[in-house]
Amino acid sequence: MKIAWFTPLSQRSAIARFSIAVTAQLSKLADVELWCFDDDETRPCSLPVKRFRSAAAVKDHVLQTYDLAIYNFGNYVPFHRDIYLVSKQRPGICILHDFIMHHFFAGYYLNELRNPAAYELLIERTYGLSLSAGERIWESNQVVQYPLFEEAIGGALGVITHSSFFRRHVEECFAGPVTSIPLAYEVQPADPENSRAKLGLGPDQTVALTVGHVNPNKQIERVISAFAQLDLPPNSFVYAVAGQTSPQYERTLRSAARQAGLGEVVRFLGHVSDEVLSSYLSAADFCVNLRFPTMEGASASVIEEMLLGKPVVVTDTGFFSELPDDCVIKIAPADDAGLAGALRKLVEDSSSRRQMGARAKAYAGNQFTAEAYAKGVIEFAWQVQAMKPLLTLADAVGAELSRMGAAAESKVVDQCAREINATFVANSSTNNPGDP
Amino acid sequence: MRVILATSIMPFVEGGSTQIVGWLHRQLQAYGHEVEYFQFPISESYSEMLEQLLAMRLLDLSQHGERLIAVRTPSHLLKHPSKVVWFIHHYRSAYDLWGTKYQTLPGTAEGLAYRTAIVNSDNVALRESIRLFSNSAVVRDRLRAFNGVSAEVLYPPLLDPGRFSCGSYGDYLLYFARLTHHKRQWLAIEALRHTRTPVKLVIAGSPDPGVEPYVFDLERLVEKYDLKDRVSILPRWIPEDEKLGLFAECLAVAYFPFDEDSYGYPSLEAHAARKPVLTTSDAGGTNELVIDGENGRVTPADPELIAHAMDGLYDDRKLARRMGEAGEARVQKLGINWDNVMSRLLA
Amino acid sequence: MRIAVLNNAVPFVRGGAEHLADALTAKLREYGHSAILVRIPFCWEPPTKILEHMLACRLLRLPEVERAVAFKFPAYFVPHANKLVWLLHQFRQAYDFWGTSFQGLPDTQEGRDVRECIIRADNVYLAEAKTIFTNSEVTARRLKTFNGLDSELLYPPLLEKGHFSCVDYGDYVFAPGRINDVKRQRLLVESMAFCRSPVRLVLAGRTETKVDADRIQAIIHAQGLEERIEFVDRFITEEEKAAWFSRALACAYIPYDEDSYGYVTLESYLSRKPVITCDDSGGIHELVKDGGTGRIVPAEPRAIAAAMDELYHDKPLARRMGEAGHSLAQSLNINWDRVIEALTR
Repeated sequence: MKIAWFTPLSQRSAIARFSIAVTAQLSKLADVELWCFDDDETRPCSLPVKRFRSAAAVKDHVLQTYDLAIYNFGNYVPFHRDIYLVSKQRPGICILHDFIMHHFFAGYYLNELRNPAAYELLIERTYGLSLSAGERIWESNQVVQYPLFEEAIGGALGVITHSSFFRRHVEECFAGPVTSIPLAYEVQPADPENSRAKLGLGPDQTVALTVGHVNPNKQIERVISAFAQLDLPPNSFVYAVAGQTSPQYERTLRSAARQAGLGEVVRFLGHVSDEVLSSYLSAADFCVNLRFPTMEGASASVIEEMLLGKPVVVTDTGFFSELPDDCVIKIAPADDAGLAGALRKLVEDSSSRRQMGARAKAYAGNQFTAEAYAKGVIEFAWQVQAMKPLLTLADAVGAELSRMGAAAESKVVDQCAREINATFVANSSTNNPGDP
Repeated sequence: MRVILATSIMPFVEGGSTQIVGWLHRQLQAYGHEVEYFQFPISESYSEMLEQLLAMRLLDLSQHGERLIAVRTPSHLLKHPSKVVWFIHHYRSAYDLWGTKYQTLPGTAEGLAYRTAIVNSDNVALRESIRLFSNSAVVRDRLRAFNGVSAEVLYPPLLDPGRFSCGSYGDYLLYFARLTHHKRQWLAIEALRHTRTPVKLVIAGSPDPGVEPYVFDLERLVEKYDLKDRVSILPRWIPEDEKLGLFAECLAVAYFPFDEDSYGYPSLEAHAARKPVLTTSDAGGTNELVIDGENGRVTPADPELIAHAMDGLYDDRKLARRMGEAGEARVQKLGINWDNVMSRLLA
Repeated sequence: MRIAVLNNAVPFVRGGAEHLADALTAKLREYGHSAILVRIPFCWEPPTKILEHMLACRLLRLPEVERAVAFKFPAYFVPHANKLVWLLHQFRQAYDFWGTSFQGLPDTQEGRDVRECIIRADNVYLAEAKTIFTNSEVTARRLKTFNGLDSELLYPPLLEKGHFSCVDYGDYVFAPGRINDVKRQRLLVESMAFCRSPVRLVLAGRTETKVDADRIQAIIHAQGLEERIEFVDRFITEEEKAAWFSRALACAYIPYDEDSYGYVTLESYLSRKPVITCDDSGGIHELVKDGGTGRIVPAEPRAIAAAMDELYHDKPLARRMGEAGHSLAQSLNINWDRVIEALTR
């Protein structure tokens, strides 16, 4: 099978890292060529890369030489805009890395196309919601109700998600094949002893870490409150928060920490280099990775933490609920007592902490591999190919009926669906080829 | 009876398989029926096939006419309470060509899915017919093997066999067919080279578009074997009178295309002129018509053995006549006449 | 050029469009093109069938065809990059017949939805055509009003030039053509009762149903018009028609709201005979000029009778109008050269 794999390759893109790892494995099972639009400093890659400046430069007759195109979708417009546009020209398989694609479409319509009317029409068409002027849905948790991934995958031949949770959401609005494959992830662990020394952390200090862009969704205040409840000796532990924060929010959090008496305990690191992050990850005794409401299809940060053998406290929702109970600690979204209890146990019981970490590492090491991902992609690709003729037919018929203005619930649509099924899909009353 | 006659066509392509429908149309009218004729253009491209098949399912003729006769695929997908199908051949890419180098469907899961969908549509549509006929045993067998349905063989007759006449059993064999490689006129030349009698060969017919070089190949072969005074090649459309004349005066008709589904009109034309047919055992449908020693000769497709049969006919004109006359009986025995066709299609 | 002519078909029903499609296919071949006629079944009851047939047309393909010429709804939906429409008929039930007794579609939610789809589909798919020709100004006007589309006028020529001639201006008015309700031959027959002159009527053509025939016979007998009306209820040959025209005083053609100019009108002019028609006869007016090439009168028996009497008493007038009609026909250039040129340019 010949596959065109569309992805960013920038050093700044986590999806790029993912693509390189997966396609390296995939190329053992199929002929793979990478297609890339960004001209950032590129990650090193062993497979052939085709580079383009824009979607318009991609010629259909060239794409037709591939059996399948696979499109990696993420939220960042500069990396994914052209991929999105090509996916509309030539339907293929979409990999949805992010559950919430709202920021992508807001950025695309408002900043790139400068067409607010189109953005409003999109919201109206997809959710029946009329926006008030200048409303910025993506800035609040409301955005979870208007994820807009539906728009990204319209017309696709198939969709790959990274959790059952996300797969179920997609199945609600997409009639073609959908699957979920555990996200492939690789880590380069740093040396723990050196790390602590470098970071000025004592060998006896308990280190808790939260990684990722700092926003209210990550519930840092709750974590700080919970730590405060533990009433631990001041120098015995450190809670590091590594991730970009807005200055205003950082002030809010620092104030909360001070008020909780943890002004010296909580380290707000802001954005850190890969090297520093790696050191903290290596030094940490456990991680706290709350998300509510959940915005990701899967959580790369949790996977990374598990691969590094860290026990992680997570919210019992979305992708996190699908992780084994003995590898992570799941807390119900509003359960403050539960959170405090979990943190206490992790701080006080180092042996059980280490055991959970080991279990997490074993599980993650098996589950989140590029090899397994590549196999999952191939299996799904065959399934998609097999569904393509009837899906293409249904799309063609649907397009014509829609141009005529036939309503989705009208009789003719129903009759066509039945006719297609009765004519082209084998049932017990017709024999298959080769049967007498 | 009010009969709807439906078929599918490749626009602007004429051929043996389109004549059957035109002749059937005329004969239905001659037998006093009112005929409404529909021809549906069909693109053979697999990526457009399912849409076109669906269109056939949606176009509604079911309220009209007392009978629908569907001939070329996929016209049999039309729905009608009194549908009779005279099946000529499948969409071969999904059937006997699947798995061979001639397969045009991609060899992927997608191609397989197209194949499955197409085969299913045939399975459904064929079972709706009140009667199913095929134009040869070869096709009947494929219908059983691929679609699990039983068809009755109904051989297509010539439009008007009465136009042919028998003059004499002359000194030439007539190979009357389209000039293209798989019709194997070249094999006749190869065979002629091995004959010991002075039997001649007349090759007549239009070259298929796009394969004009085949004619040069034949001429070169004649040159190579120094047979210029024994082989005539007429690479063109042969007008009616000339055609009848060629059949009337030939010794016998040679016709051994490679593995064809049906016996081919030249075989019937031979018998209409009371001439025997010389064919080979790998010619396909011709073997349903020609019984070796009865109404012609059937030999292995080996030039020397064919040559032997050619000489045999040249040497024994009485035998040639007897076999030629037996041809007519054989044709009737197989029901290759319009009375039979009408009674079967309209039963 | 390799051309496909596309038309609808209802099995075993043949009308003007079917004859035109056959004629066009034959003429294209005569002019050196390769042409095939593709007839597409059409079924409009129940209403959902209409949508299914529209869709089916969209799913058909025309391989090896360089140009497609389509006549009617929904045949003109078949996709082709080089498509011309020679519009004979839209689905009038959705347009000018909607709200009248000819509506056809039920006035239910479903019927209304189907109507909306027909209109929308016409708007979208007719616009795909490279050019739209219409067979009359009436059709063109409707297309512009309902669908906002422009078109070029292209009159269909007579299918057979025939041997029309003028021998003399006799004592009968000739009314050829299919006999049914819409063509209103009954009204002509009724008018004869009001004629004061001895003018006769020759009514020649096959009645569509027995009811039509019976009704006409009933009027003839009731009014005692047996001597005045020759009722030839059968299909007549071209030769017969030409012969009747050649000796007629005039022609009467009074259909209700006809789409096109009416072949009968042209045949009458080729025979140099004036045409009597009615003010609600529709497209006939494109070719009949009141007082110039014939008479346009209200659709009521006395008025029609008066027109016939007038011509009976003034044969020179009939001749003058007939000649004028002949010139008009020539000037409009209704011939196959023009049609083939337009469709293959």
